[in-house]
Amino acid sequence: MTGGPYQVSIRIPFPTEREAEIAYDVLRVDAEPKRSFITKQLSREGNILQADFTGELAKNVRVGLTSFFQSLMLCCETIKEFGPPSEKYDHY
Amino acid sequence: MVIAIGFEGSANKLGIGIIKDGEVLANVRKTYITPPGEGFLPKETAEHHRSKILDLLKEALSVAKISPDVIDVVCYTKGPGMAPPLLTVAIVARTIAQIWNKPILGVNHCIGHIEMGRFITKAQNPTVLYVSGGNTQVIAYSMKRYRIFGETIDIAVGNCLDRFARIIKLSNDPSPGYNIEQMAKKGEKFLKLPYTVKGMDVSFSGILSFIEKEANPAKFKKNIKKTIDEKDKLTDADLCFSLQETLFAMLVETTERAMAHCGSEEVLIVGGVGCNERLQEMMRIMCEERGGKLFATDERFCIDNGLMIAHAGAEMFKSGTRMSWNDATVTQRYRTDEVLVTWRDD
Repeated sequence: MTGGPYQVSIRIPFPTEREAEIAYDVLRVDAEPKRSFITKQLSREGNILQADFTGELAKNVRVGLTSFFQSLMLCCETIKEFGPPSEKYDHY
Repeated sequence: MVIAIGFEGSANKLGIGIIKDGEVLANVRKTYITPPGEGFLPKETAEHHRSKILDLLKEALSVAKISPDVIDVVCYTKGPGMAPPLLTVAIVARTIAQIWNKPILGVNHCIGHIEMGRFITKAQNPTVLYVSGGNTQVIAYSMKRYRIFGETIDIAVGNCLDRFARIIKLSNDPSPGYNIEQMAKKGEKFLKLPYTVKGMDVSFSGILSFIEKEANPAKFKKNIKKTIDEKDKLTDADLCFSLQETLFAMLVETTERAMAHCGSEEVLIVGGVGCNERLQEMMRIMCEERGGKLFATDERFCIDNGLMIAHAGAEMFKSGTRMSWNDATVTQRYRTDEVLVTWRDD
């Protein structure tokens, strides 16, 4: 991991592997805004979604985390309201 | 047969529409309305959309009386617009595409407006005037692209109207432009404003600065040399009237030039400002003088809505356009002429 002295890692467990996969696919496509000054790395292992943030300044990391959580919560809320999700996704 | 659902949220309107081969199944909308004197900001607008979108989606499905299984494609606004609200809507669209196992398609907002206008009015190959809070473009179709003939070189016409409404503290409910239009009907005196057509392009920011000084002279006291006679004083209604007449005359002029250039007989007005009846009236007079025809729609289809995204997305989908998952992003800048128009053969 490179990018700065401030590093935050979060591990989010999902009820099922499929739900973790959806959250991973939904959240990974967006590039961080150019002026966020942080790097964000998403990964998934089984039903665990992991997000790693690094940055030069704590405030930048905090802003990145906040917006990540907002997106994550919206995604989870959507799954909760309109789930359970289909077993697989076959359109790429 | 294609059933498409469309999600729109590039500015302060959040809309979801469902369309089934030209039949409107649902078209629901929620607008984020700010207090008088205030505009909408990206962060707060995204917050509004986040808090409303899931309920609105349920409403759309119940209005359409369909089960998600029958939907063929999930469409959302890819851009242009404000990033935070665009992203909010894209996240829900992506999640729902995964949950329902449906393909996803990002739609250009401007193309959505144009296709919706053509669909509702049945105009075949019109010269399009696209006027809203964020965009002002004169567009004509040629060889698989919607080409931009003229556009604003600074702010959009709707932005000019919205900001003037803020200066004179008009309500933003239902929209600042609507309230200006109503107030302009009471205007009697015409104030000559700068008329800024530059070739095929238009400019509005100077007009706004000019009229701001008239509306709020106290703020610019240093520049005012004499006290104005009470009977010469312009009311807010006079200013609304003068502003509308000037802005719309500029738009009609550039549209007419584009029509003459393309040899087109039809004009289609789309976008939020397009439901202004005074603009429609001025455009209609110009069209009739040229032996042409004006096409316009009402607020349900003019103002940003989800249905236009669903419709444009369905047209793209039918003509074979597909998007890979990694391209399901959003972009603040996305010009109308970047899109290859695969669904038109003329």
